[in-house]
Amino acid sequence: MKSGKNIPESTVYKKMRIVLPAMVAVLLVLIVTAVAVGPVYIPFGQSVRIILSNMGLLNDPSLPRDQNAIIYLVRLPRALTACLAGGALASCGAAMQGMFRNPMADPGILGVSSGAGLGAVTAITLGFAARSIYMLPLFASVGALMAVTLIYLLSLRKGKISSLTLILSGIAVSTFIGAVTQLVLMNSNNYEVRSYVFWAMGSLNGMMWSHVRLIAAPVVILILVLAFFARDLNLLLLGEEEAQSVGLEPSRSRKLLLLVTSLTVAAAISVCGPIGFVGLIVPHILRLITGPDHRILIPASALGGAIFLTGCDILARLPANGEISVGIITSLLGAPFFLYLLIKSRREGELF
Amino acid sequence: MAETNGKTPLSNESYLSQAGTTSVKKLLVVRDLNFSINDKQILGDICFDAAKGEFIGVIGPNGAGKTTLLKCIDGIYKSTGNIEIGGADLVGMSSREIAGRVAMLHQDTTVTFPFTVLDIVLTGRYHLLGRFKAERPADYEAARRYMEYTDTLGLEGRLINTLSGGERQRVLFAKALAQETDLILLDEPSASMDIAYEEQTFRYSAELCRNGKTVIAAVHDLKTAVRFCSRLILMKDGRIIADGAPEMVVTRQNLLKAYGVNALVYKNRISGQVDFHIPGQAENRRDKLVHVIGGGGSASGVIRQLFEGGYSITAGVFAHGDSDLGCTDVFGIPTLVCQPFSEIDDETFQKNIEMIRAADFTILCDMPFGQQNIKNLKAAANAGKLIIIEDGKPENRDFTGGKALLEYNALKGNAVVIESARLHEVLP
Repeated sequence: MKSGKNIPESTVYKKMRIVLPAMVAVLLVLIVTAVAVGPVYIPFGQSVRIILSNMGLLNDPSLPRDQNAIIYLVRLPRALTACLAGGALASCGAAMQGMFRNPMADPGILGVSSGAGLGAVTAITLGFAARSIYMLPLFASVGALMAVTLIYLLSLRKGKISSLTLILSGIAVSTFIGAVTQLVLMNSNNYEVRSYVFWAMGSLNGMMWSHVRLIAAPVVILILVLAFFARDLNLLLLGEEEAQSVGLEPSRSRKLLLLVTSLTVAAAISVCGPIGFVGLIVPHILRLITGPDHRILIPASALGGAIFLTGCDILARLPANGEISVGIITSLLGAPFFLYLLIKSRREGELF
Repeated sequence: MAETNGKTPLSNESYLSQAGTTSVKKLLVVRDLNFSINDKQILGDICFDAAKGEFIGVIGPNGAGKTTLLKCIDGIYKSTGNIEIGGADLVGMSSREIAGRVAMLHQDTTVTFPFTVLDIVLTGRYHLLGRFKAERPADYEAARRYMEYTDTLGLEGRLINTLSGGERQRVLFAKALAQETDLILLDEPSASMDIAYEEQTFRYSAELCRNGKTVIAAVHDLKTAVRFCSRLILMKDGRIIADGAPEMVVTRQNLLKAYGVNALVYKNRISGQVDFHIPGQAENRRDKLVHVIGGGGSASGVIRQLFEGGYSITAGVFAHGDSDLGCTDVFGIPTLVCQPFSEIDDETFQKNIEMIRAADFTILCDMPFGQQNIKNLKAAANAGKLIIIEDGKPENRDFTGGKALLEYNALKGNAVVIESARLHEVLP
């Protein structure tokens, strides 16, 4: 065996070559759908042409300007934000479940959501949110990072993080921060409460290019970083000592991964609110399809999260008498589906 | 697995063989190793060296610190003291560097996640892979080479969580080998493991050591350790209490000290190795003295049965070199011995009669009779109570032309005659 050409490689790579392009195709179709449907229906072909012309790939002066405005200024940035946020939440959920070997780990549990919530409330009540669209995301991100850092420090024992302590202190700190947030809200005026609740429900309404620009770079880069830690995540899944024996520094990897996932999630929910269940169920569904290997699970979760959130957002916009928050849709769909999975695979270890 | 013996020896292309043979003497140096958890000392003042090609078994009762010691050497537990592997200090090494020098097969081999066998074995290559690189052809080749070695190549595409315990252990052993280290640590799976696979890792390890690797194994089964290891380290309460060749370590005193059992240690005549016997509970010690007459191996089973039954035993007369003497040695039984190939001398004969008279009863085993030992039959006539074990026709065991048979039949008139399998029925 001289050359590597005829050596069969791991089946994961073969799976990747089938699953990932298929998911990209589904995602593209969904983006076009998201752009086409709405109060004003724009035919699919027309939608594609408008997107292409805005990308400078098509020069067609006959395209109606009002349709162009709807698609380019309203629907496309909204769909792209959905992709980015969904991808961020789901890939980070997959990573967190792997690194803590805990099927219930998700961004919400580790205090990211509650921290971001307190940051958002602060930005709103202190009036910063009204001044610039960047203020609420900024405050939310800072809040999220502060909460994660606090939880992390609380669960640190002799330089090591205990998974159980992390999750327990995560719940405690989240609850505490949630109470503080409620307290602040009680002393806020009606408008402030409304804008907080609107953010906290998770909504993609009003997403603009500035939002896309705000999170695109961090989300894409951090998901790529996660993908390069896939092998480490696999080892962590196989067990701490097992991982260390083959050359991984488990606690250092966890610290790094915790930082990366917190930043990613903070970036995503800072603009569209803590959208529930995406980080929890999307990785679980994909694990059933791809298996537990993070080399495929992380990119597949990123794409799956994007598909799921974009799809949910299409549903959220369907009602004629005004749209529903996408967070409501994800939870309405996600919770029953999650329970279905749970019941179907009640035997221990099968789900995760 | 016998078929693996013929397979290609594993190449040893790691840093040490490249460095030359000067460092071969001491692959691993452990000095004053101490390890505590929450101020409770688990390991204390551990000192030992391991040379290339040694197969060291770490033995000792549960809780002696065997697994902990292995984990300290693997860098999983941070101990104080000095651990040098291939001349380099373990302290200050990254996990990745350690993984290039030491591989470990952990005790708990359960993997609940459905990874393929190939992917599991490839994790052994982690320390060689760059973060942004996929596995190279060389990694696949190595993985498959060690899978072939442990007879798991056919399982390549199977999911690890669907394998049997023995298969899984072989896969994880291939993974450890794929790290291509000179030192391999083996934490033997507990006895709950499939009995058919209990020894497989030991057979592989023994062969690896012959090919120049060094294996340190925590072993629970002493007999397995004696059988396979070239050297044993006996631990008790986190300390080494004996270290050396198996026959130096497995001694009556050491086993008493470490395990609190009163074992009978002897050299196994068949394997040539040190062996031991832990007698059944003789707490029901009887106040009975038995004299056993036998020879040619006929007395061994009887003596063991009596010993475990709590009887006091004397035996004789045996000729020098008789296989029954091995047995009386082991059990520490006062035994009369005479010169081989000659008649029992009068002095020994008289002593034998004294012993028979002193005994509460005498057992005449299912033994061959010749000119040399015919006096044993004469002595037996002095027994107060005589039990004769008769499994085969005495005619076939008489090599004196009928003389012994006459004596034997005379004895029978005054004795209880029984098959050996039913001996317990007539023992008082």
